[in-house]
Amino acid sequence: MLKRLRENKSAQGTLLALPTTIWLFVLLIVPLFLTLVVSFGGRSPDGNVIFKFTLDNYARLIGFSTDCAAGQSTCFDPLYLQILWRSLTLAFNTTVLVILLAYPLAYFIARANPKQRSTYLFMVLIPLWTNFVIRVYAWMVLLRKEGAINIIIGTIAHWLGFNFVPLEMLYTPGAVLVGMVYEFLPFMILPIYTSLEKIDNSLYEAAADLGANASKTFAKVTLPLSMPGVVAGTILVFIPVMGTFIVSDILGGRQVILVGNLIQRQFLDARDPAFGSAASLILMVLTLIVTYFYTRKFGFGEEIVAA
Amino acid sequence: MNKYKIMSLLSLLITASLVLSACKGASESPTQGSDQKVTSSGYVCPAPQFDVKVTSKELNIFVWTEYIPQDMIECFELVYGVKINRDEYSANEEMYAKVNAGGSNYDLVQPTDYIIPPMIRQGLLQELDHSKLPVMKNFNSSYLDFEFDPGNKYSIPYQAGIDSIVVNTDKVKDVPKSYADLWNPEYKGRMVFIDDSRAVIGIALLTLGYDVNTTNPTELEEAKVKLQELIPNIRVFDSDSPKTALIAGEADLGFVWTAEALLAQQENPAIQFIYPTEGAILWQDNWVMLAGAPHADAAYAWLNYSMQGDVFWMMLREFPYINPNDAALEFAKTDHPDLYKAYMDSSITNVPADVIKKGHRSVDVGDAAVLYDNIWVEVKGGN
Repeated sequence: MLKRLRENKSAQGTLLALPTTIWLFVLLIVPLFLTLVVSFGGRSPDGNVIFKFTLDNYARLIGFSTDCAAGQSTCFDPLYLQILWRSLTLAFNTTVLVILLAYPLAYFIARANPKQRSTYLFMVLIPLWTNFVIRVYAWMVLLRKEGAINIIIGTIAHWLGFNFVPLEMLYTPGAVLVGMVYEFLPFMILPIYTSLEKIDNSLYEAAADLGANASKTFAKVTLPLSMPGVVAGTILVFIPVMGTFIVSDILGGRQVILVGNLIQRQFLDARDPAFGSAASLILMVLTLIVTYFYTRKFGFGEEIVAA
Repeated sequence: MNKYKIMSLLSLLITASLVLSACKGASESPTQGSDQKVTSSGYVCPAPQFDVKVTSKELNIFVWTEYIPQDMIECFELVYGVKINRDEYSANEEMYAKVNAGGSNYDLVQPTDYIIPPMIRQGLLQELDHSKLPVMKNFNSSYLDFEFDPGNKYSIPYQAGIDSIVVNTDKVKDVPKSYADLWNPEYKGRMVFIDDSRAVIGIALLTLGYDVNTTNPTELEEAKVKLQELIPNIRVFDSDSPKTALIAGEADLGFVWTAEALLAQQENPAIQFIYPTEGAILWQDNWVMLAGAPHADAAYAWLNYSMQGDVFWMMLREFPYINPNDAALEFAKTDHPDLYKAYMDSSITNVPADVIKKGHRSVDVGDAAVLYDNIWVEVKGGN
């Protein structure tokens, strides 16, 4: 038996892939299928799922209310489309800001003395040792009206003789953006660093030999060769930001509603798992579409994945 | 060189965390052998007044955030040798959704009045055996036998309270007198609200002159439009610790629960609690036992022990809501006169009789629950 297995390469492959396949089937495929089934259902007043086939949940998501007769002022309400759009723009803004912040830092680390590189990378990773939620709470302390940032600005303003009214930063969409950028920054720094670090030094020498100045070298050599890192980082940042609800819950004061919050609330506060399932599937489809067009244009950053 | 630095830093951190976790372990484990049972904060646990046999080694409770004193939990664990596993929620609907989904394995839950009837309808609760609850005699009869559970077949009271207006009078000149005043545009972005659908929709209904338990879709639609006008005034929804926003100066006004108002006032005397002219919204939290509770014996022991007078007085110290437990108030009167005086002197906890008389109570709205749930999601999502 064992001997036959040793000779049979394809059986070996099957055996090696089996645990992950079972894992994915039980914990991904089956729940996804259930989500799909439930999304065509409805809810009872006591919050139970009623299994039936209706497109009501999807109609409601794109704004067409199914209970117009029951006192609704208008039948079309783009509320949920607005929430989706808000999440999309936030994910886009976060990704752009993260790239702008991460690229220079990754460049700095990649060009640093090899001995110091590991120290810098280590420093990038240290925040990840602390729980995600606790790091978000830390921002509450910083952004409060009587928090660290306002106190520091206030003290400086006082020295200079200005009158300073504390800024209202917490519980605003801006606070959510800051929190998202902070949380996902390391996921952009690391792939960009990896791609920058792999660039062969002789390419820079060649560029210099051929008369390129620093900015031209960056535009013609560094940037194109580090694009796979940016692409991989974008995928690692954009997709989680689309679905995260903790940052907006804590820093947005439960006032800034993203699609992640909407879904979470449907399963808990609103006791409507059917509508929540429909919203989850729409989020997945939307993310897939965005990722599809993005990767068709830029690829997956395969060089990074392979590295 | 750097590598060594990192390694030494790492090992230092690991050692530190080991030492810290060891300390934690030591403080949690009871001092065996001594007669007196003392909690980690140094509180000497009272002996049980009611004899209850317990064979279970665990008790699973699902309770509101920040609602049970740590000493109460530790004392029960020490006295009965039962480990309490606590999960928390911050909205009745959230609790209901999790319990109703099944597979939760909880013994005791703490629902508010209006959510109990649907729990009974769904068969989620088991009837309480009153012969095992001698502690029932501790309760003031005005907190028993409500419409949501006649004869207390399924529930016994925990604490009661009021959803009302708090205002920092140092910051707000124009102090609101009614729920309707909260719509004042001067309060834009200055209020903290509990994240509680029935209470917040309730004040919109009261402002419009409707009943807090209406099932009329037209009235509810009006309330939704009215609430959308209130949203710009609300800076933050927080059901875990709304007092924090008031104390930290993040909010100048609020719509919060009794104890949150009292605790905020203790931090800042300028914070006042206002009973609105429309009549305040009253509520009561209760203990219920889930059908198929795996540790019913420990659950009965917990109910009896935690609500005996010399244990439940702690609520006055830590979560000062309206206390339905006469034995606890009696005990506080003699043993903690300062707490008792603070409780009796404050109109927040010792509520004037006419406030109770004029008050409104949320009850189960049956099929209209769908409308309430949808209004809540749509109002909050729309800013």
